[in-house]
Amino acid sequence: MGLRAAETGFDPVLVYDRYSVGVCENLFETLVTYDYLARPPKLVPLAAETVPEPEEGGTRYTFRIKPGIHFADDPVFGGRKRELVAADVEYAIKRFRDPRNRAAYAWLFEHNILGLDELAERAKKEGRFDYDARVPGIEARDKYVVSFKLKAPNYNFLYFMAMPNVVPVAREVIEAYAADTMAHPVGTGPYVLREWVRRAKIVLERNPDYRGFELETRYADMADEWDRRAIEALAGKRLPLVDRIEIYPIEDEQPRFLAFLNHEHDLIDELPVSFINQVLPNGKLAPQLAAQGVRVFTELQPEITYYAFNVEEKADGTDNPVGGYSPERVALRRAMVLGHDREQEIAIIRKGQAIAAQSPIPPGVVGYDPDFRTDAQDYDPARAKALLDMFGYVDRDGDGWRDRPDGRPLAIDYKYLAGGQEYRQLAELWVKCMTELGIRLQPSAVQFADLLENRRLGKFQLADDAWIADYPDAQNFLQLLYGPNTDQSNESRFRLPEYDRLYEKSLGYPDGPERNRLYREMTRLLFAYAPWRLGVTRTFKHLQYPWVKGFKKHPILYTNFKWLDIDVAAQRAAMK
Amino acid sequence: MTAYVIRRVWQMIPTIFGVILLIFILFNWVGGDPAQVLAGKISNPDQIANIRRQLGVDQPYWVQLLIFVKQVFTFDFGRSWSTNEEVSHIILTRVGPTLTIMLPVLFITTGLSVLFAVLVAYVRGTLTDRMVMIACTVAMSISFLVYIIVFQWLFGFILGWFPVQGWSESFWKNLTYYAPLPIMLAVFVGVAPELRLYRSFFLDEIHQDYVRTARAKGVPEKGVMLKHVMRNALIPILTNVGIALPGVFVGSFLLEVFFSVPGLGREVVTAVNRSDFPVIKAVTVYLAIITMVINLLVDVMYKFVDPRVSFK
Repeated sequence: MGLRAAETGFDPVLVYDRYSVGVCENLFETLVTYDYLARPPKLVPLAAETVPEPEEGGTRYTFRIKPGIHFADDPVFGGRKRELVAADVEYAIKRFRDPRNRAAYAWLFEHNILGLDELAERAKKEGRFDYDARVPGIEARDKYVVSFKLKAPNYNFLYFMAMPNVVPVAREVIEAYAADTMAHPVGTGPYVLREWVRRAKIVLERNPDYRGFELETRYADMADEWDRRAIEALAGKRLPLVDRIEIYPIEDEQPRFLAFLNHEHDLIDELPVSFINQVLPNGKLAPQLAAQGVRVFTELQPEITYYAFNVEEKADGTDNPVGGYSPERVALRRAMVLGHDREQEIAIIRKGQAIAAQSPIPPGVVGYDPDFRTDAQDYDPARAKALLDMFGYVDRDGDGWRDRPDGRPLAIDYKYLAGGQEYRQLAELWVKCMTELGIRLQPSAVQFADLLENRRLGKFQLADDAWIADYPDAQNFLQLLYGPNTDQSNESRFRLPEYDRLYEKSLGYPDGPERNRLYREMTRLLFAYAPWRLGVTRTFKHLQYPWVKGFKKHPILYTNFKWLDIDVAAQRAAMK
Repeated sequence: MTAYVIRRVWQMIPTIFGVILLIFILFNWVGGDPAQVLAGKISNPDQIANIRRQLGVDQPYWVQLLIFVKQVFTFDFGRSWSTNEEVSHIILTRVGPTLTIMLPVLFITTGLSVLFAVLVAYVRGTLTDRMVMIACTVAMSISFLVYIIVFQWLFGFILGWFPVQGWSESFWKNLTYYAPLPIMLAVFVGVAPELRLYRSFFLDEIHQDYVRTARAKGVPEKGVMLKHVMRNALIPILTNVGIALPGVFVGSFLLEVFFSVPGLGREVVTAVNRSDFPVIKAVTVYLAIITMVINLLVDVMYKFVDPRVSFK
């Protein structure tokens, strides 16, 4: 198969791009993971014996590791089998907070595990992280039991432990390959890295010592054809079944698509939208593909796109016309939301491969309410114009553009990612829609690193943005508007005490009606103050040839190799 | 000549300093903050500051510049900020695939261009000459990207003559299986402008007095073209090849991306997107040095092509 972007390496603490992390999913094992078939995603044990229940009001989690799990053979182990133990989990967690590692997912264990922040602070001062220091919140009780004590209740901690980056590693391996841990992944997973030509080819081979597992069918939906096919192909078999996996990073869309059509690849992940009309003309699979038995899996990713308004009064030191919480500023943002034609975005730019987001919580995550509907973000230019007129945003100098209520000219900057056709088209659509309202919008394309910085530091007025779930809980999305997360993930710099109060309260509840009620209230505040123009949740098409058995795309895990089987005879016949 | 070469080598040092300064200013002026890219999705100002500290970009500019100068003269650019791979290893392993594509492209393109240029110059003013020139103009008017998309689709997919993309660890497999299509493409695109240029070089020479004299002395037209015209036209051709030669070492980004060739061009563009300064500065300095060395070699070669050239 092809990867959409080049990998960076395979040290789970150091990598953060989904493609490298996706490969790591096969080399390492988390303590808990997601069931392959369950939707919405459900946690199941992997290296742990069970999924632990939260203790002490959601502040303690105790994992018991399955005895007899071994790391893949490596010269570092000197020919001996190396068993996975609790100390490996402790070491792996500590690595996230070692400043030298610059771990992108350090936030998972920040302000979280008792005593870990203090150890990280000490490391910054001393220039060395003391891995032998005892952390009160990480307790390796015996060889197989590790218990975490948290500073405050966190009912998503188990999701953190299911993230493919949070995997136990052997300290001696990391220390032996300290110069280049990215190239020496040694885990307990079903596959080992056999060959790696950086940026060209990644070859995984079945770990001969892997203990194996069977497909869990408990959570399968027998009404779902993909579940039925997976069960038919895999039930009762010892997994994994595929001996060798070849992965090719191919950044451009055409060669990736042609490699699939040419049978060079068995499946194509996330079919490029530009080829959607060739593959699915009028929504039906193209005859030449149907004749080959190609199957299309449609996935609604747990993600949202949105357009963030900077709601601070000043942006990058200058007056920000869309910032603030006064009625006229809120009205301006709401009018812009109403005046933006999202249906056109979906139909033309995204070629129908998306649905309009109804709330900041996308489908497929815990807390999503499929019945939640609002007209606050519907396209309604008449309402938008009326709102602008009502709050004094009218053309005062006769130049054809609306001015501010105090008579100053109204011009709004819109920043978007440079280099992509899609982003340029989205910017053009914004300009067109705002021009229709009489609002002067000035788009500017910004390089990736600059856009990240601009958004993080509030150097923008309006910018495109997106978020994909790190874990399948609404909290992962709602934290994007939590006041204290300003300068971090709250790129709108939205600071509303009422929202923050609700958010903090929600952290103290496990999944349930009370937490969902709080989530709904937070969502309503979003609509009322309009720090975002909600965008879409994209749908992706994943194509496979009929000899790929057991396929089902997981919304959180990027790869599913260990659940696949290949009908080699059918594959070879098609190659001829 | 030795004195000339020593003087030219000596002159390279201030040029390298100029390159270093230019890269440094450009990176710090227009380059994005690498810490923002490396920080991932959720990071606080403290983490950003830690990343900047780890990368050394929080140090005063003069300290960073001194480190850069030291790296250039020790040829140790450290490790990539995004992949942690040694920069020297990146260059050594990526230059091979690039040269596997670009050297054949250079030789074949130059050879074909010179050959066709001589032929059309020989039949200058005829219908054949005009048709070739029109074809060259049309070929040059189409974007390289269009050629890539069409050739890959036609020869890789429809006709199935070549693989659509890919690369292996075997040099021979790469050269004979994966490289032919990108080479063919680059040659196809490269021949048209060079043919036009070289034709004009030949035509310039054809009208010179010494050619008329040779003809007056009864030298056959073939001899005039190959012995007299060709030899003198080679000087600007050599200059043109010399200008193109450094590009061979960084390859074509488009070819490498579309055909999944793990070469240096693709690496550089990724490094720019990721604000991976160690890779950017190493490749830029390496390219500058190669350019200077090649320029020197070309100047030295003038002497062998044209004995009238003397070094002062």
